[in-house]
Amino acid sequence: MSKKAMHFSIVVLLLLVAIGYAATTGSIEMGFFEFFTHLFTEDSRMEAIRDLRFPRIIVALFAGAALSVSGVLLQSVMRNPLADAGVIGISAGASFMKLFIISVVPTLFFFTPLFAFLGGALACFLVFALSWKSGLNPLKLILVGIAVNAVFTGLTEAFISLGGSLNVAATSVVGSNLTMRTWDDVIVIASYGMIGLLAAFAMYHWCNLLVLQDKTAKSLGFNVARARLMIAAIAVLLAAISVVVAGVIAFVGLLVPHIARRLVGYDHKILIPYTALAGALLILVADTIGRTILPPLEIPASTIMAIIGGPFLIFLLRKE
Amino acid sequence: MQVSNITVSHDGKINHVDNVSTIIPRGKITTIIGPNGCGKSTLLGTLSRENKPQQGQVYLEEQDIVQYKPKEFAKKLAIVYQQNQTPKDITIEKLVSFGRLPYQSMFTNTQDADNEAINWALESTNLLEKRYTDLEALSGGERQRVWIAMALAQKAEILCLDEPTTYLDMYYQLELLALIQKLNQTYGLTIVMVLHDINQAIRYSDHLIMMKQGKIVAEGAPSLLTAKNIKEVYDVNVAFKHDELGAYIVPLGV
Repeated sequence: MSKKAMHFSIVVLLLLVAIGYAATTGSIEMGFFEFFTHLFTEDSRMEAIRDLRFPRIIVALFAGAALSVSGVLLQSVMRNPLADAGVIGISAGASFMKLFIISVVPTLFFFTPLFAFLGGALACFLVFALSWKSGLNPLKLILVGIAVNAVFTGLTEAFISLGGSLNVAATSVVGSNLTMRTWDDVIVIASYGMIGLLAAFAMYHWCNLLVLQDKTAKSLGFNVARARLMIAAIAVLLAAISVVVAGVIAFVGLLVPHIARRLVGYDHKILIPYTALAGALLILVADTIGRTILPPLEIPASTIMAIIGGPFLIFLLRKE
Repeated sequence: MQVSNITVSHDGKINHVDNVSTIIPRGKITTIIGPNGCGKSTLLGTLSRENKPQQGQVYLEEQDIVQYKPKEFAKKLAIVYQQNQTPKDITIEKLVSFGRLPYQSMFTNTQDADNEAINWALESTNLLEKRYTDLEALSGGERQRVWIAMALAQKAEILCLDEPTTYLDMYYQLELLALIQKLNQTYGLTIVMVLHDINQAIRYSDHLIMMKQGKIVAEGAPSLLTAKNIKEVYDVNVAFKHDELGAYIVPLGV
């Protein structure tokens, strides 16, 4: 078995173990054997697991996969190993638009994913436009991104402060806790998420070509601008959809692709699927640890990611 | 290729190429020479469509080059730039295969033609044994050969090179120029390149284009160079010498 196939097997195996553990652990405990024998029965504990824990697990898996793949795409399109939807403000842009729609024009609630996408796209455009002149210099791009992130986060917080008059429990809208996810959430993140992930995989050849300098790629007849636009759009879609369902979780898109490149290399044909699996694993583990470490208290997955991710970003910046 | 009255400016103020007309002879090695900032790279960039002329046209096979679709143009003309970022974790074969992009589309299977072109490109640049090696493991001179191989995989009749020898040591400079000569003589490729070294230009070119301040000062066979026009263009005093390999210059001072 090749090294890459081995890495794939390991991550799939760990994923299965994590799903099994997450499904059977928590306020309702069940043994593995008991779990499988009761899986399709009317058992009351099983029903609680089906209604509460399964959606949460699936949302965590898709959010992790979507955010990680979004990171890979952004890093390819910006030629920057430090790009991450949560760090450079795309998630914050999507989150702000989501809050805006839900609290100001709740009649458009159904279109929340679309508006979140537009918010993320605006943030992505700003980061691109403001760091284009520096030739997408990695550090400058990150600084611009952090500024854009701060603006959208600030707007969101201002909105929450005004929230009292709007009669909206804003914190439940922007909070990034994975509790109380329903099967409706699963449908949203699984459908859009699957489309986004498949579209991302379809872009693998273009992502590979973007390692060439623009003028070299252009001399091959490659439409660099169109490729950039489409890849960035898919990255924003993936980030926005996980914001809509799971809230802002930063650093996943930074951490997972970086480790994945070390393990399976730079070819996006392999990197994209591997990143999706590893990202799903990471968020599921983070969420499961968060809810089982100090029950009945819960630490949100985003908090755990921030605690691991912050130092990791510093580590990457020092290496650059 | 026929260049007709082109003017190119990068900033809208200075004309980096100023109303230039010339002909790039087919099947020959043409070298553009001139001091820094004379517009030689800009002219090369205009031939390869990297720069758009504000005025004038460039014709390839009697058709204005702006009318070609990007991929169609890439099948006719390939360019190797002076300096390329080295992508990480990519084999030579993989990089060379990018040269096949103009031929690939979603609906046709081009694999046989691709493999043939890639093998030919690797063979003619002496990279066959290294095809599965990582690009990062190669020296600067070898990397430059890989970029040339990528351009060859485009199977274009015209190969442009922007200062291909600038960052190489003497051995790799000569090796590269011999390779270019071989590509021209064996496969009939039309070569257009920019060189800094006048002696290399004399020895390896069939046709010279000498530029100063955006204009062509002289063009023709290398024998057109004289101590006088070199002084005029470069503001350097040189002596012409001859030996069994032909003419060469010795710089005397400024």
